[in-house]
Amino acid sequence: MILLGELALWIALPIGIWGAVAGFVGGRKGRGDLVLSAEYSVYAVFFLLILTSAGIITAFLTDQFQYWYVANYSNRELPTFYKVSGLWAGQRGSLVLWALLLSLFSSAAVFTNRTKNREFVPYMVGVLLTVSSFFLVVLLFADVNPFERLPFAPADGRGLNPQLQNYWMTIHPPTLYLGFTAFTVPFAFAMSALLSGKLDARWIVITRRWILLSWFFLANGIIFGMRWAYEMLGWGGFWFWDPVENASLLPWLTATAFLHSIQIQENRGMLKVWNMGLVTLTFLLTIFATFLTRSGLIESVHTFAENTTIAFIFLAFMGILAGISVLLIAWRYPMLKSENQIHSFLSRESAFLFNNLILLGATFTILWGVLFPLITEGITGQAMTVGPPFFERVNLPIGLALLALMGIGPVIAWRKASRRNLIKNFTTPVAVGAVVVAGLYLRGVHHGMALVTFGLSAFVMTIIIVEFVKGTKARASIEGEGHPLAFFHLVSRNRRRWGGYIVHVGVVMVFTAFAGAAFDREVVQTLDPGETVSIESPFGHEYMLTYQGLSTPRGQNMVRQAVALMTVEKDGRPIGSLTAEKQLFRMWEQSPLTVVGIRQTLMEDLYLILENVNDLGGAFENEAQAQRATFEVQVNVMVEWIWYGGFIVTLGSIIGLWPSRGSTTTTASRPQTGGKRPALAARS
Amino acid sequence: MRDNGKFFVGLGGVALVVTYLIWTGVSDTMLYYLTPVELMARVAEDPTFYDVGVKVSGRVEVGSWTRAEDELLHQFTVVDLQDKSVRFPVEFRDMLPDTFNDTDIVDVVVEGRFREDGVFEATVVLAKCGSRYEATAEELLG
Repeated sequence: MILLGELALWIALPIGIWGAVAGFVGGRKGRGDLVLSAEYSVYAVFFLLILTSAGIITAFLTDQFQYWYVANYSNRELPTFYKVSGLWAGQRGSLVLWALLLSLFSSAAVFTNRTKNREFVPYMVGVLLTVSSFFLVVLLFADVNPFERLPFAPADGRGLNPQLQNYWMTIHPPTLYLGFTAFTVPFAFAMSALLSGKLDARWIVITRRWILLSWFFLANGIIFGMRWAYEMLGWGGFWFWDPVENASLLPWLTATAFLHSIQIQENRGMLKVWNMGLVTLTFLLTIFATFLTRSGLIESVHTFAENTTIAFIFLAFMGILAGISVLLIAWRYPMLKSENQIHSFLSRESAFLFNNLILLGATFTILWGVLFPLITEGITGQAMTVGPPFFERVNLPIGLALLALMGIGPVIAWRKASRRNLIKNFTTPVAVGAVVVAGLYLRGVHHGMALVTFGLSAFVMTIIIVEFVKGTKARASIEGEGHPLAFFHLVSRNRRRWGGYIVHVGVVMVFTAFAGAAFDREVVQTLDPGETVSIESPFGHEYMLTYQGLSTPRGQNMVRQAVALMTVEKDGRPIGSLTAEKQLFRMWEQSPLTVVGIRQTLMEDLYLILENVNDLGGAFENEAQAQRATFEVQVNVMVEWIWYGGFIVTLGSIIGLWPSRGSTTTTASRPQTGGKRPALAARS
Repeated sequence: MRDNGKFFVGLGGVALVVTYLIWTGVSDTMLYYLTPVELMARVAEDPTFYDVGVKVSGRVEVGSWTRAEDELLHQFTVVDLQDKSVRFPVEFRDMLPDTFNDTDIVDVVVEGRFREDGVFEATVVLAKCGSRYEATAEELLG
């Protein structure tokens, strides 16, 4: 199985290259046989990459430590779950997963377009297989072959980094990768539109769902990563602005911009060049994020010197693709003329345009911050860096502007908003926002930026609620339906619009949660068993935590763990207990893993960290005097809103993605055969 | 006004604001990123450097980590990666990341201020196992 997997990887490359060439030549010469061969190549590469992935997973499951990759990311005692996810635990396997997911989506794109949109298919297949082939070349020739053998077979592997042995960390990378790879399909269609000269909004209509699908996975991938950081890194934060996190945020920002700007092209025939640019930029950023997350280019500038060849291969690939895209856009520029003009700044298209510009502004500032050490070292020879203070300062006003636009955009009129339109739509929401700010201020909330955020959030939420209420009422009176039924029909008849509003609700909740972080509190205290630490929450609750002592059970794959038990009282009433741990993993004895205890509630989390056990060795020997430990207790405000917001984003996206029955869109899907593939992915 | 005209007015406005934000953000928050050797050279040359925030990357000296009883005060020594004779003590009053220790090869990036008494007062410590969580063939054999 393993050898078969390795062989499959080698066979996939020539097939991928052949298919890419056949696609381009077939499209150029109108040769149906070549195009068909290219399409079969897509399926073949997918099949071969399934074999490759299965080979790697088999190597993990059967403890084949003679393979460098397995030896580095697994050991005999590793739980099966993490052996399977070993496929994406490190750089090498992650690249395989990337290629696998891309070939999955490529196959889905070919399959769903096997009888329609044929004029786009040849070049689309060519582009998709070019990208696949690139990843296969990297895997086979850039010293990252997952099947590389060691000159000997170690008795046991090194084990998976304990910090990665976490549920969220297991689903976080593949979710992001699903988002990254799904975006290749719209990019391939865009390039195909440029090459074939079919430059109306067709390619956008066809790929709309792909764009949303990709966006949805990116959003969830980012939120899963935040959840992992919050639950696993043990600092009580969820976002640290490190280069890897930032890199995953970049394509999400541009994809968000793109999701909005395509609506202007569809409705008003504008921004055609802009959209071509955005789809290319987003695709390039997904590649950038992929290699940055796994290559360590940024950190390696100064210290963590790594194999940087792979970084340069990626940069070269991105450079070539960017160059080709720009040339293609320039070549087709005359065909990308705008059909309309912006008449007024007070219009929906202008609100969308500003949304786009601001999102790109955010992208640029973050990219600038990430690349700052490289830029300064390149120019002055002296590397300078910027950290979280920079990103927070710059992105706070940008985020607030976006939040405001999220309210304005959906209800302001197209073309030119009249005074009546403005008064009618904005009086109530502005009033609600102002009341919220005044109310919070009187209740003692004096943090300026947080107040602005809460006020804007209330403004946007009111607008969305008013829209839902108006729509439901109108439908109820016209169709004579009850309100619940009218609401259901309202949403299901225009899923894109109402799904979008629901996504906005989720995003507003996440913004609100960010502002809540301004009120977090923490105390640090060293305790003997029986002693108590107390912390007052910003909502006026008093938490008292009494240290009951340490126990040292042994968990799977661990050498030892030290579990500190605290009983918790809130405002004088017992509300249960919390544990915080240090876990010592086999092969990772030098670095105990800190496991936090979290008591989650809607408005505030009680977050307990076992900072240090004064004598961890003694504690493991169950020495009575070795129980003294230092704790950090935090009250983190409204963190739950991020996870609930994420859930609502998911709900809204699914509503938007759901295939519509007999809808008017040209992509209305015919009944599909087989239910094996996820319904969402299979339809575009 | 023509479509393109308005478009470019918007683009220009946003670009100006973003540039302003980046400019002020960078100038207020940027830090020198140095190796210990570079840091020593800088402070020798220009004593005002003691007041500037810097980020320094090096390696934790094996066995140098001590932790004050009952308070969050960690002390350890950072050594230059190339010139092992260049080193300085670090004080850090917060929780160290799990990856930090003084028995393995641990590379650290410390952010903070190099005081005139020769102690680095860190506000941020990032730690990373020397080999990016991956072992060489020799390490696996051992």
